Amino acid sequence: MATDTEFGDLSNLSFVLNKPSDVTFETKPKPTIQSPYDVLVKVNYTGICGSDVHYWVHGAIGDFVVKDPMVLGHESSGTVLKVGDKVASVKVGDRVALEPGTPCRRCTPCLSGHYNLCNEMKFAATPPYDGTLTGLWCSPEDFCYKLPEHVSLEEGALVEPLAVAVHIVKQAEVKPGQTVVVMGAGPVGLLCCAVAKAYGASKIVSVDIQPSRLEFNETFAATHTFTPERVSAEENAARLLKETDMPGGADAVIDASGAEPSIQTSIHVVRRGGIYVQGGMGKPDITFPIVALCVKEVTCKGSFRYSSGDYKLAVELVASGKVDVNKLITGKVKFEDAEQAFSDVKAGKGIKILIKGPNEKET
Amino acid sequence: MSTITEINPVFVLHSIKNVSIENREVPKLRDQHDVRVHIEQTGICGSDVHYWQRGRIGDFILNSPIVLGHESSGTIVEVGSAVQNVKVGDRVAIEPGVPCRRCDFCREGAYNLCADTVFAATPPWDGTLQKYYIVASDYCYPIPSHMSSEDGAMVEPTAVAVQICKVADLRANQTVIVFGCGPIGALCQAMAKVYGAKKVIGVDISKSRTDFAKKYAADGVFVPEIAPAGADPVDASRAIGEKIIAQFGLGGGADVILECTGAEPCIQAGVFAAKKEGTYVQAGMGKENVVFPIMMACIRALNIKGSIRYTAGCYPASVDLVASGKIDAKALITHRFKFEEAEQAFELVKKGQEDVFKVVIQGVQ
Repeated sequence: MATDTEFGDLSNLSFVLNKPSDVTFETKPKPTIQSPYDVLVKVNYTGICGSDVHYWVHGAIGDFVVKDPMVLGHESSGTVLKVGDKVASVKVGDRVALEPGTPCRRCTPCLSGHYNLCNEMKFAATPPYDGTLTGLWCSPEDFCYKLPEHVSLEEGALVEPLAVAVHIVKQAEVKPGQTVVVMGAGPVGLLCCAVAKAYGASKIVSVDIQPSRLEFNETFAATHTFTPERVSAEENAARLLKETDMPGGADAVIDASGAEPSIQTSIHVVRRGGIYVQGGMGKPDITFPIVALCVKEVTCKGSFRYSSGDYKLAVELVASGKVDVNKLITGKVKFEDAEQAFSDVKAGKGIKILIKGPNEKET
Repeated sequence: MSTITEINPVFVLHSIKNVSIENREVPKLRDQHDVRVHIEQTGICGSDVHYWQRGRIGDFILNSPIVLGHESSGTIVEVGSAVQNVKVGDRVAIEPGVPCRRCDFCREGAYNLCADTVFAATPPWDGTLQKYYIVASDYCYPIPSHMSSEDGAMVEPTAVAVQICKVADLRANQTVIVFGCGPIGALCQAMAKVYGAKKVIGVDISKSRTDFAKKYAADGVFVPEIAPAGADPVDASRAIGEKIIAQFGLGGGADVILECTGAEPCIQAGVFAAKKEGTYVQAGMGKENVVFPIMMACIRALNIKGSIRYTAGCYPASVDLVASGKIDAKALITHRFKFEEAEQAFELVKKGQEDVFKVVIQGVQ
């Protein structure tokens, strides 16, 4: 089977994390079609996620520890190079958004429609699996989503964080006319506001400590913004509800920050009988207003990655213009400048920086 | 290595009403996730009989021979290299429909709706009435040693009942009317009791079947009278529905209707017997198109759902229900046949006698 001779003109240079703060560029063996359902893709763009940065800085997230060198990146778009015999939904030359986690399809979570909770999930750039900051990537067909002609490959790389936001908003069960508060105005928080808007929310309150992020969101998706002060969660909540004219509380509150004060404020912001969704990841154990949750009969749910239908909906939201992901792209760098891009993201510069694939030509 | 080539006797439906036993090769594993099961017992389902007699159910049409049977248990005799949940020697109940695992239905957890499901004894797929059957290992569920192979074969219809009750979203202390006191109806009545139903009423035109249902699980039973000639059929069904409500003190109507007959008068009576905002589940299959009291369904804001086969969790729950004795599966088996007598077994089920309930066929020894 021709491996390095097929697509011999393409590079499989990869951005590898060896250990914290130690990244190198290496040429890895090119992946090949393993099953008739596989699709081989040339990676065009990859966005950087906080989790990639976290592995780069700390070498671990919870129980996932980088023990061996691992390619980073998982928010990618690409172009189809080759398809297996049974592939019908994409063909060579199609541009696709890549869903980077392949579940086993056989465990109970998989069979019951929660493949994001698969016991044996193989997720790009979660140890020990290599990520998509590479030249070529092999994906099962049902994890590859064709982009319509008018959607760019850059927008395609934003589908992953948008799918995260879709999953969160679905967990929050946002319905037309409802009020939604989103804690955190990073990429996921911004996209949660945009999805909530697409779901018909009448008020979307964006909360962040960075004024520039709130200013951006005023023209992106939020109807109101709020900057908390260093006071108690109850006081911040009371002021938020007063300023946004939501005396009874918000129908749905989403945390996309992971920050303890935000989580506490959230429970005091949500209305009685409302829904709170934990999307952000910060300290693993926090002080939580549990009595308020109980007395107000709040429904509290976690949200992790994405599952059935989320990617498809994300592509549709971009294609229909309901979510303008282009506005989040603040930088595009050459593959060779990946490490600098990581530094910039860590320093909080811009919103979403895209790294071009190693085979992207300079225009 | 044996010098005698092993054979795999199969009970095959060649064309409508044309069955025979023939010898085939022992089937091989298709991939590293497969297992080969030596089938021990197989129950007969109305669908098997229907393919035999009519050659089709809906869009599933018999175009080439198929092995019949899909309600089976057996012993694992060979495992693929990636199999972890079972080993050679394990006794298992087999879930006979393996979906594609890749389509939107599979990915969202509704694998019972996968269009590419490989379902035993649904054309064009072979069923389990053969010595050996090949299936993906995650569709095999170990049964404890105190569960017989016959109990194992009853796991399939029990799983159908589990799914019906799941679709109905049964809660404790509800009132439930089950139309049909055949195996599925009886199992649904038993399942409703397991869910803690306050009152379970079984309905059937056969008095002997309702007598059995009363002993088995139902709190009360009802045998509707045949409507007088010339009576409007929907009015007659309405009268039956209202009579059941009155006789069993169901107030505004039953919380849940489980329709396990597919018979038009029962479907109609079920709609009239439901309370406002009640739940009606269509599980039985009869005439494809029926006269349906749609205005009543609308005005009373009924929640009407279909139920087909089973989804994730149904099989493990069924094994547990049978193993623990919460469901008495064995009580439903009335007739037993050897593999060589398979055609006789089918003839018996076809007759539709009241005293014939679940018929099982032993595997090839």
